[in-house]
Amino acid sequence: MTNPAIELPLEGIRVFELGTAIASPFCGRLMAHYGADVLKIESQVSPDVVRILGSAWLKDRDDLAAAAPDTSPYVPEMNASKRSVGLELKTTAGRNAALALIAECDVFLANFGARALAELGLDYEAVSAVNPKIVYVQLPGFGSDPDMPYYSYVAWGPNQAPLVGFDDFTGHASDPPAGIATVAPPDYMSALHAAVATLSGLEHLELTGDGVHVDVSQFETTLALLGPFVMDYDLSGTVHSRIGNRSLWGAPQGVYPCAGHERWIAISATDNESWDVLASLMELPDDHFDDPDLRLAQQEQLDSQIGTWTVNFDADDLAHRLQSVGVAAHVVSTNEDLLHDTHTMSRNWYQVAPHARLGRDVFSDCAVKLKGTPGRWTDAGPSLAQHTREVLRDVAGMSDEEISQLVADKGAFEQLEPETLVPRPWDDWIHLLVPGTADARDL
Amino acid sequence: MAGPYNGLRVVDTTGLAGAYATRLFAGLGAEVIRLEPPDGSPLRYLAPFAESIAPPENSLWWSYLAMGTRSVVIEPDNKDSLAQILSSADVIFEDRLPEDSLISPDLLPDTTVRTSIVPFGLTGPKRSWKSSNLVAWAASGVLYATGFRDRAPVAPAGHVQLALHASAASALVGTLLALRARRKSGEGQQVEISMQEAALAIAPETGVPVFLDDRVHRERSGNRRDLGRPFGLYPCSDGFVSIIVLLPRHWTAMASWVAEATGNETITEEVFEDLGVRMETQDLIDTWVEELTVGQSRQELFQEGQRRGIPVTPVNTVNALLDDPHLKAARFWSETQLPDGSSVAVPGAPFRTNADWWTMTAAPLLGQHTEFYLG
Repeated sequence: MTNPAIELPLEGIRVFELGTAIASPFCGRLMAHYGADVLKIESQVSPDVVRILGSAWLKDRDDLAAAAPDTSPYVPEMNASKRSVGLELKTTAGRNAALALIAECDVFLANFGARALAELGLDYEAVSAVNPKIVYVQLPGFGSDPDMPYYSYVAWGPNQAPLVGFDDFTGHASDPPAGIATVAPPDYMSALHAAVATLSGLEHLELTGDGVHVDVSQFETTLALLGPFVMDYDLSGTVHSRIGNRSLWGAPQGVYPCAGHERWIAISATDNESWDVLASLMELPDDHFDDPDLRLAQQEQLDSQIGTWTVNFDADDLAHRLQSVGVAAHVVSTNEDLLHDTHTMSRNWYQVAPHARLGRDVFSDCAVKLKGTPGRWTDAGPSLAQHTREVLRDVAGMSDEEISQLVADKGAFEQLEPETLVPRPWDDWIHLLVPGTADARDL
Repeated sequence: MAGPYNGLRVVDTTGLAGAYATRLFAGLGAEVIRLEPPDGSPLRYLAPFAESIAPPENSLWWSYLAMGTRSVVIEPDNKDSLAQILSSADVIFEDRLPEDSLISPDLLPDTTVRTSIVPFGLTGPKRSWKSSNLVAWAASGVLYATGFRDRAPVAPAGHVQLALHASAASALVGTLLALRARRKSGEGQQVEISMQEAALAIAPETGVPVFLDDRVHRERSGNRRDLGRPFGLYPCSDGFVSIIVLLPRHWTAMASWVAEATGNETITEEVFEDLGVRMETQDLIDTWVEELTVGQSRQELFQEGQRRGIPVTPVNTVNALLDDPHLKAARFWSETQLPDGSSVAVPGAPFRTNADWWTMTAAPLLGQHTEFYLG
């Protein structure tokens, strides 16, 4: 629960965010959670990807088309607690309104391509001319220097992981690279670096009184995670690549089959202490594998021996049994497992907040937790362009007449059909997932 | 100017769970003291090693992640030295639960930010469970959905240790927020990172809210995804390239490219402009695309694909990255000195600023700064 007496770390900070999909929105959400007023600038002409995705349960419901952009579960995952402002930046009037907002902001955050930002007239030079104290943080795929070879290249989520070597590191050694197509770690790692950069920029501003330009080139940023492998190649010529779930540091470590269809357990027992406990649970007939070097050298044999043991057990039961004796292990969780994970539930990992279109919505919490100044979720939305009028009025100081004129000129837009409300089909049992939440039937 | 955290004193008692955070912190100007036991931090025992150097100075994980930091060795029972170091700490990073920590709260000033990075958080039924990079991914839903259907699931980027680096980066964000709060309140506080949650947070694609919406059980789909075609990894003469074709204009450009390179005119027929048709004929589409890719190198396909405006990237291996023309032109790669005086390539600053924040020095020798701080 929010305690109004506590001042959050980013209270008083206002962010102008030009984001799409993940990298900058995820960073902006973190700042909003910790008290910043994050203005998510949105377009109808070229909408954010999460506005296009919509919701599976609304497919083919043409009567609810106006609500659709607000209904993707990715909207709160990336944008909870922000305010949405509908501005068409390619119009002169829309751009002028944006500049008026920028003058009142502390941070400019964007993951539009560097060339696209320059073409909108919103590169660092243009923005700092309007607001010299701005902390300007951009996350282009390949940096903002137009003289660099890949400056204009097409970069987005699924393509960064292969580029930075992550895909080559994914999979079993004897297989082709498996890739990371389902998730996009480079986007999120870039977002976390952007948060570090933004907070550093605000510190810089406090110390010097000056604004700053930070270029989080996603290609470079994610490569910072490959240090030891780059060094070994430079030193010895060794090209490190995928080794499945194994470790260079000890064995066994792997994913092993359990009883049932597609049930697996992940086990890390790479140090001698863990191995001794595991070996005694397995009731191994001899001490053949007590030598750690031998375990590393004969992993194939070791893993197959473990697999013929684990397959007799329920995965979750076995994980509890292993953890109770100090061995790192966990069921390889499916979506269904996560839905019933009593641990994450006890920590309130899923949160509920009001939503202008859905009444309320459920979304993931923030992994960064501050005990003294806990963050807050004010809104599970926002709905597309929900806050256009209030932000232009209260932040940019425009009159209602000026705003209406701007909307009529197509420089701005407001939320469509605010009266159309559509609760989620699973709204009735959110209370089962999120402890302490009201049962919808009582509302 | 120097980094914005110049003048701040940070104590790090973690192993891999916090190392990436304090590396970044040091690069941004903080004075980072790594407290090591007499036989050295666990990081010093992690392969790969530099062959020309003797332990405990030979781990490349240490040489990379401890860059910019200082090493102070304290015997486990030397409470006075511990108290002396901690009394001036603005921040302390830990990877233990309070009951397992050597650092009792009375050793820390009220102004200290205490950042704990632990496997499953400080509360909840699994709070004392152990973890690893692999176990964190298992608990996030990502592991189950990664890999080939007929093979065991695999962790994304395996031993790159992404789940731990995500935990560390999250921990630094939390720490910087807590320092900002301290500026207002004058008080330190507890920052908490659960490694499970750090992995969950960066994978909503396999998380519960998305699952509630689409009710699709996330199966492993190998290195191609059924969102479009071509979509995923395709073999070429020196490895693989990644091709992601979703938008109509990307398909049109892709089909012309295949037609020009292989003489296949059928692929440009209008019927294939329909994404649904391409999904139904995905084996055929994949075969045609492979006829283009197998004869060319990663770089050739990357350059030509991008010239045509198609999202094509190489599936880079470590050696290819060191030769990458963009990274070379941008002078991204830096170098550091190993204890035997040799130079080795390392990634440069993770982001660039017009204010010259980033500074780095070589990783310290075991106990190199003990005398300075405790002498």
